[in-house]
Amino acid sequence: MLQKLGRIPIGLTLPALAILLVVMGIPMVRLFLASINAPAFSLSNYQAFFSQPANVRVLFQTIEVSAVATALCVIIGYPTAYLISAAPKRLQLTLIVLVLIPYLTSFLARTYAWVVILGDHGLINTLLLNGGVISSPLPLIYNRMAVYISMVHIMLPVMILPLVSVMMGIDKSLVAAARSMGARPSAAFWRVFFPLSMPGVRSGSLLVFVICLGFYITPAALGGLRDAMLSTFIASQVQTSFNVARLAASAFILLAVAGVVLSMIGLDLSDTQGRTAQRTQRARQRRLPPFGALRRYFGEGADHYRAKRWMANLYQAGREDPWSILEILYIILVMTYLLLPGVVVIIMSFSAGTYLEMPPSAISLRWYRSFFQDPSWNGAAWTSIQIGAMVTILSTIVGTLAAYGLSRTSSQLRGSLTMVLLAPITFPSIVVAIAAYLGLVNLGLIGTRTGIVLSHSIGAICYVVVIVSATLATFDRRLEQAAKSMRAGPLQTFMRVTLPLIRPGIIGGAVFAFIHSFDEVVISSMVSGFSIRTLPLKMWENMRNEIDPTIAAVASLLMLLPILWLGALYIFWWRSRPQLQSVATV
Amino acid sequence: MNVHVRNRIQSREDQVLESSLVPTQIEFRNVSKSYGAVAAVRDLSLSVGRGEFLTVLGPSGSGKTTTLMLLAGFEAPTKGEILIAGKSVGSVPSYQRDQGVVFQSYALFPHLSVRRNLEFPLEMRGIKAGERLARVDRILQRVHLGELSDRMPVQLSGGQQQRVALARALIADPPVLLLDEPLSALDRNLREEMQGEIKNLHQEFGITTICVTHDQEEALTLSDRIVVMRAGRIEQTNTPEALYDRPATRFVASFLGEANFLESPFFEIESDPPQPVDTVPMIRPERLGITTLTAPRKPDADRRHAVTGTVDDMIYAGPVRKYNVRVGNCVLVVREHVTSGQHTFQRGDEVRLDWLRSDVRFVAG
Ligand SMILES: Nc1ncnc2c1ncn2[C@@H]1O[C@H](COP(=O)(O)OP(=O)(O)OP(=O)(O)O)[C@@H](O)[C@H]1O
Ligand SMILES: [Mg+2]
Repeated sequence: MLQKLGRIPIGLTLPALAILLVVMGIPMVRLFLASINAPAFSLSNYQAFFSQPANVRVLFQTIEVSAVATALCVIIGYPTAYLISAAPKRLQLTLIVLVLIPYLTSFLARTYAWVVILGDHGLINTLLLNGGVISSPLPLIYNRMAVYISMVHIMLPVMILPLVSVMMGIDKSLVAAARSMGARPSAAFWRVFFPLSMPGVRSGSLLVFVICLGFYITPAALGGLRDAMLSTFIASQVQTSFNVARLAASAFILLAVAGVVLSMIGLDLSDTQGRTAQRTQRARQRRLPPFGALRRYFGEGADHYRAKRWMANLYQAGREDPWSILEILYIILVMTYLLLPGVVVIIMSFSAGTYLEMPPSAISLRWYRSFFQDPSWNGAAWTSIQIGAMVTILSTIVGTLAAYGLSRTSSQLRGSLTMVLLAPITFPSIVVAIAAYLGLVNLGLIGTRTGIVLSHSIGAICYVVVIVSATLATFDRRLEQAAKSMRAGPLQTFMRVTLPLIRPGIIGGAVFAFIHSFDEVVISSMVSGFSIRTLPLKMWENMRNEIDPTIAAVASLLMLLPILWLGALYIFWWRSRPQLQSVATV
Repeated sequence: MNVHVRNRIQSREDQVLESSLVPTQIEFRNVSKSYGAVAAVRDLSLSVGRGEFLTVLGPSGSGKTTTLMLLAGFEAPTKGEILIAGKSVGSVPSYQRDQGVVFQSYALFPHLSVRRNLEFPLEMRGIKAGERLARVDRILQRVHLGELSDRMPVQLSGGQQQRVALARALIADPPVLLLDEPLSALDRNLREEMQGEIKNLHQEFGITTICVTHDQEEALTLSDRIVVMRAGRIEQTNTPEALYDRPATRFVASFLGEANFLESPFFEIESDPPQPVDTVPMIRPERLGITTLTAPRKPDADRRHAVTGTVDDMIYAGPVRKYNVRVGNCVLVVREHVTSGQHTFQRGDEVRLDWLRSDVRFVAG
């Protein structure tokens, strides 16, 4: 069976495509048909959407908030990435890890951290009140400002990582060359480095913008009533009146905005090079980071030649001058912004009183005890772990097969199939959630574990496909031919040669698949049918009702997870590095 | 016309070869391979005898690798068929063809040690651990790598990797060995050393070997027979000496070594027996003699043809000296071995060039 499928590589993508089609594809088509009142074709649902000023306001607000957040991410992220890419190797690694930690941390936990910091009884107000600076709490939370602060905080790593990866790939000797031709440092930067770094800016911005468009939890938790995003709006529509046609129209409007912006940014910046090549490349860039960035970073040195060149680049690198005091301050500020909220939550979680304090007046583990003793908490955690494990197993197998199949098909087919397969992470999450809801309704799987596992897996498969594909791209196919010339059959070749060599990528994919499932709340809230309570659902419920400080302990524990992930990735990527070095280029 | 001439020359030589050949091991019958619009191999027919060392030589993109990959079964021919030991292998997958392959980049498994790499082909043939151990040890000795058996491939030098790759291809005693530019990644000294090693191994194992290269020196030193390819076709097949001495076409003449084409009517080359009109007289640079105009006549002067010219350039290249001599509107290259007490010509000197009429070859133009 497997051997036969192996002959037709495209066949290996079938399991992934089947899951995607059943859980999301068919419902998407049906949603679209519903939105145009098929078979009686009409645009009445769209007209109804636009005839309500409130809807239009929410739509523009969504675009505005996403655009501003993206712009802020570029403004803060670009200099940060530049400084990181120019840092000495040790420091560079440290800084990248510091960016990775928030990136790998549960975004619910990070959203919660901002509630704790900005809230009326939060860190800032408490400090100011205690210091006698103010007499009543400042309105720091439930406004647009709070939304921006937390959104940018959450999205910043997503911007920085692809930027760093592109910037590290820029041959610094080009800048040196420009200088040798008489360009002043600033001219060398703007004329050479900046244009070369544009692909990173483009892919980072696209990614950030699209994710922001689908933001739902963070604006709902930190914004005021008037800061609703389209996702929030759609979600509330689901809860109040489940009018499929109206809902479908809203979802497709959101999707259309994402599509229009993506193609606009894509078109504007395209230059005159080979068009198809450009397009596939752009499509890849849009989707690969930050995982590509991550993978590439850890895979740096996977290729001996590249590593050598890289070191040479560092050597000539360019920046003779060490960081100035200003630059050091800037980096410290950005890192504080990224990491401090987590630290605050961890410290506050040790509060002994009945509510959280900063700094805690006495230290206790009561909230941790509460977490481990309260069955509604530890039960939710256990459920999430089990679901995460199942998602990881399913999506790692299915995703690896798909990535392997994709790597063996013609590049044209590969491009479009990859695009299709990655829809669950490129579409705004609320759209995916609604589609998955309908899909699971059809299957009768609402409120079942199987249902949740399937709905998480469509996204998790994307991460596996992206990361394993990146690994396969550096895999030397002649090794497989060599094995076959030594009488190894297709299955033996895969098990003995291919699999061991792409294992780091598979492990990476598995880690991301688990993180995706373990942190998922939007889709889960749709498909859990109130009968299954995952940890993020429990946290989200808790954040909305502000009842139980146990969530601080949970958030703190979640913040320690990235260290586990980084450890795992380190072991499998970094340590396997010497083996991965391409023999050919020594 | 050209093709016709070539075929005539070709068939004459093939007859000579055919008679001396051992049984045929590999045969290509009118094999073509195209990738979309690109015809990588066109109508290729070739037979290789058992135990023969055949080199496929040709410029970049001429279809050498494709030919080898077709034989190894990594690609399927678009047309024609390939026979190994008399049987068509059209439907035999690569892993059942029993060939040792050394890839250009060696393709050592980076996650396995040298020993495990060498064991791989034996394991795939279901050979027991005890015997594997013995055979690996034996071959390691043979390629002088005994002490490196526990290293990972990255920890080896280029030459060592090359030897491991060779050992891995040979360890299961396959009847056929395929080498794709096996020495291209090595520096000159190592390359020469490895050429000797390959030659020795070939003689010792008596294995039918097909080696792809675009290094003509390598082809000349290693092979029993050379196939020259051009744009997907076989241009000529012959022993190294015959190929160099009697190139069939202008392309082969200039690809393998240097050639002077005496095209201008000015040279008044008369041929006996008369050659077809579209052939070109050709002479190798080392067959030209260069003397001053006043030098005494050579004893065999009546068998020689002489012209006068002007030295354009002198290139000193270690053991030989090369002159570019302008004769009429042509430039002839002359190669002369450096000996003591020899007259050295300078740019602008008037010289006489002469050659034995029997050294002139006629190649298809
Ligand atoms: N997979 C492929 N897809 C499309 N074209 C190919 C493919 N492989 C080879 N070709 C084309 O077929 C022709 C012959 O290629 P081949 O690799 O056999 O050349 P070669 O003689 O080995 O060259 P080199 O000396 O550079 O290795 C070339 O024009 C090449 O571009
Ligand atoms: Mg080749």
